[in-house]
Amino acid sequence: MELLPQLLIAGVVIGSVYALAALGFVLIYKSSRVINFAHGQIIATGAFIAFALTQRGVNFWLAGLIAMLATFLLGMLIERVFLRRMVGQPIIAVIMVTIGLSSVIDGLIHLTPYGAGTFAFERPALLTGQGIELFGLPLSKTQIAGVLMALGLLGGFTYFFNKSTLGITMRAVADDQMAAMSVGTSVERVFALAWAAAGLTAAAAGVILGLMSGLTLGGLAGIGLKVFPVVILGGLDSVVGAIVGGMLIGILENLSAGYLDGIVPGGGTREVFPFIILIIVLLIRPYGLFGTKEIERV
Amino acid sequence: MPASRFTQTGNYRTKYQQDQTIFATYSEQLSLIVLIGLLLLLPLILPKTMLRDVNMIMIYAVAVIGLNITTGYTGLINIGQAAFMGVGAYATALAATRLNLPFFLAIPIGGLAGALVGTFVGLPSLRLKYLYLAVATLAFQIIFEWGVGHTPLLAQGGAISLPQVQVFGVKATFFNHNFVWYYLILPVLVVMGLLWRNVLRTKHGRSLIAVRDNDRAAAAMGINPGTAKIMAFMIGSFYAGIAGGLFAYFQKAVVIEDYGLHISIQLLAMAIVGGLGSLPGSFLGPLFIVTLDRLVGNGSQWLGTQNLFPAGVDVATALRPLSFGLAIVLFLMFEPRGLANWWRLSRLYFKKWPYKF
Repeated sequence: MELLPQLLIAGVVIGSVYALAALGFVLIYKSSRVINFAHGQIIATGAFIAFALTQRGVNFWLAGLIAMLATFLLGMLIERVFLRRMVGQPIIAVIMVTIGLSSVIDGLIHLTPYGAGTFAFERPALLTGQGIELFGLPLSKTQIAGVLMALGLLGGFTYFFNKSTLGITMRAVADDQMAAMSVGTSVERVFALAWAAAGLTAAAAGVILGLMSGLTLGGLAGIGLKVFPVVILGGLDSVVGAIVGGMLIGILENLSAGYLDGIVPGGGTREVFPFIILIIVLLIRPYGLFGTKEIERV
Repeated sequence: MPASRFTQTGNYRTKYQQDQTIFATYSEQLSLIVLIGLLLLLPLILPKTMLRDVNMIMIYAVAVIGLNITTGYTGLINIGQAAFMGVGAYATALAATRLNLPFFLAIPIGGLAGALVGTFVGLPSLRLKYLYLAVATLAFQIIFEWGVGHTPLLAQGGAISLPQVQVFGVKATFFNHNFVWYYLILPVLVVMGLLWRNVLRTKHGRSLIAVRDNDRAAAAMGINPGTAKIMAFMIGSFYAGIAGGLFAYFQKAVVIEDYGLHISIQLLAMAIVGGLGSLPGSFLGPLFIVTLDRLVGNGSQWLGTQNLFPAGVDVATALRPLSFGLAIVLFLMFEPRGLANWWRLSRLYFKKWPYKF
């Protein structure tokens, strides 16, 4: 029975992308308590910028870097123009602003030639050729590179938060904004930085996903919804939670596809299983595996 | 009572009973009667193509009143209102096609089904607040869509067509479908609106607002926040279920695309653009969003013929979400109280005229 290890590996591959997407989401929530419904669209923006550049003949790696820089600035811009005004507004208003933004970005992407079609990156030379075989599951070099890139970024951010001054400042703001302000931290700068960092990881996630499974607006933006089960499972405000949650959701959805699709009429449990997990987690442990406990019973 | 029951010149109320009237003056009562009278005449004046949009606006208004009950008045963010509409629509469709019930029984069954499912989905609200609840309703929306898509009884999300109805000897046909349904939807909307307006004045309605403003304070005053929240979900999804039943008959068929996540978001946008927690806003919001969508649709058709965009760009699919998103964002940034606030201000202006304040 080779099925189980194969499902586990496939789960880790897609899970690392989920983790990377969730990381951007968590960065924003952790610092500014904003639920970002537009994250999927930022992921798509990053991926399409990179793709458009490679179409113009730019080297793949350079295009990826430029895309990350572009979404870095995009995140900062969104925070500055839209979210800064929403400080102190009711949560529904903040949520709706990001939903509105997701719709705006959707429309803007549709204005480019990339809105409706299906595209694929031209693989860089480094990633072509025979991959390796793990437990009978052929893994392409692309997939391996994607997982490695995702893990690298995730590790980098974990290190950043634990060791660098800026990372510790961001954690301080997340912990207690008032206290952070009173010791001279610019909370505004931290918010802007969190959005920018989220944009950066979003572009990375978009490019990796684009390499693995092609570029469509629907598929890329759809990751923005998959993020919810991941972050609820891992804990909304925990970077480690994003990583563990991403891997777990990736593995669980592959397991459900492997074992449940035969039982459920019509199959396709992969799409819905993460959300069933989400509901179960909400009922049992709403703050997730690593999140801060702040739920009260009424 | 006021010195004059025709115009309001000040607050002359001396009894609680007087304070509890919905309409302080005859002119207010009169304006509502005139409005309803005009609405009854509307289909005779309006071009036939626009009548369809008016019907859509009225059905969405019923759903948005429901959404306002959960989100606007009670403060429970609900990203699954379209799914509740869908529950109502499918229940109505099953009642009409399998049980052969007439529409005036099938639609209330849809409402009850919506309320039942809504109560069940609302149960997490006993423990969860704010965005956790928002995510829970979002999950319900996605599970609902997937579930319908995999149920053979519900045609796996494909079309279940509904029978044509016959009212007072008039059979709705292809030609007078919009016309007949206008006169069926309008009374439902008026009754549902008045109903909520009156529930709001009871202690149950007030308790919802108290829970929204501060649930711990509400609990201290003897309101059970849990009961209030469940009740809000129940009433809100009942309205959604009724709207879904109407929508099913109006569209002549139930298709899962009509109850997707984007419709939930549209309903939320309608509630916000109209003004959260306001009854007039529940009518103005759908009016604004549906009109905007139609205008942008027509405008982009014209733009598409102007060769301004590269080939392969569908202008309508680009401009629709763009304008819709911009409307939400701009309203939230510059007029968070929505169109209802404009409505209130213009009413005040006429009331106080010729004085400014």
